[in-house]
Amino acid sequence: MRRFGNSVGTLNTAIAGVTVVALCSGAWLLRDAGGTHAPPQPSAAQSVRGSSDRAPAPHAAAALPPSPPDRIRIPSIRVDAPLTGLGLTARGSLDVPPPEQRNLAGWYEAGTTPGERGTAIVAGHVDNADGPAVFYALGALKRGSTIEVERRDGSTAVFTVDAVEVYDARNFPDELVYGTAAGPELRVITCGGGYSEKTGYQGNVVVFAHLTGSHA
Amino acid sequence: MRTARRLRGSALAALAAGLVGALGVPVAYADDVGVMELEIRPSTVAPGSEVTVRTTACGETGTAAGDASAVGAGTFALARGPGGTGGPDAKIATGRFRVPPSAQPETYQIVASCEGGPQVTGDLRVALAGEEGPALTGEERVHPHGHVNTGVGGAFGRDRDPVQTAAGVAALAVAAAGGTWLLHRRARGDGI
Repeated sequence: MRRFGNSVGTLNTAIAGVTVVALCSGAWLLRDAGGTHAPPQPSAAQSVRGSSDRAPAPHAAAALPPSPPDRIRIPSIRVDAPLTGLGLTARGSLDVPPPEQRNLAGWYEAGTTPGERGTAIVAGHVDNADGPAVFYALGALKRGSTIEVERRDGSTAVFTVDAVEVYDARNFPDELVYGTAAGPELRVITCGGGYSEKTGYQGNVVVFAHLTGSHA
Repeated sequence: MRTARRLRGSALAALAAGLVGALGVPVAYADDVGVMELEIRPSTVAPGSEVTVRTTACGETGTAAGDASAVGAGTFALARGPGGTGGPDAKIATGRFRVPPSAQPETYQIVASCEGGPQVTGDLRVALAGEEGPALTGEERVHPHGHVNTGVGGAFGRDRDPVQTAAGVAALAVAAAGGTWLLHRRARGDGI
């Protein structure tokens, strides 16, 4: 009797094991099989307007001398990418880096260099035809996070995020985003807002940051 | 000087068109770069910036001699794009030059002369940041405006993988069967 009981017990254990494995792998296979992977979008708490309990903004650092940037790093969302120079399109909007290169961002070359007094502008793709790209997670950035920009003169400018906003393309606030700031500031831009196959992305995620330090 | 260039350009273009008409050789017209036009991007730049020029006026040969000496950038070459013989870029000749940092704010004429073909021109506007230094006279900078086109929706693009979906469903079926067996055993009092 005992022997029979043991072999039944073993069989039940084996079946329980197989069941658990099948359940977990089945769930994983279905979840990973595809479908939408919308890029994260900022919550209202990250907006300038949405912040009621703001801690005082970190003290601004003195502006650095002009020097073109080579690389951008945003540790909290694992961004580490080279920067290429961008001009304007024929319509006067900011041009974009070649989309085929997934890990490449760009900076507005005719504008302020990051670290200098004024508004430096960085832009990169949220995705390309193959999937997520360099700034896919930009919408998940939080106020207070740091952004580092390595410059050609060997110094690294460190910026702190003040706000992460989403703006509709039809009503883009040019002055707010591109207008010259009094101190050394940075804007990091990618596509965001709603998405539909017919219209594409309907807006931009814009990160506002100001210079709070530098190091060699 | 510029007027003379324009007249010469128009005369050459007319001559070329006449020759082409006489020989009956079809001229290549592309859909996105304008006919007999030199596309200059960006069309407004700060001194020191790189400029890309494109044209389809050179047809099949796709090579041209570019002249940016008006803005002080000397000569440069235009060559066929990487599209190869069949691609959409095949008939577009592309060239690049850098505007010298000392360029004065003005509008300059950039010329491209196709090899054995017409000459096309375009206007490049140079806008200066400001004499006192870029930081203090931001109002004179050329600012971008509008939405930035940084995404195509590839993050959403993947269709559900049918093989993976089928495997997932099968695994869940096995789990359901196993679960049912165990419940049945428990109901029979096997001490699970």
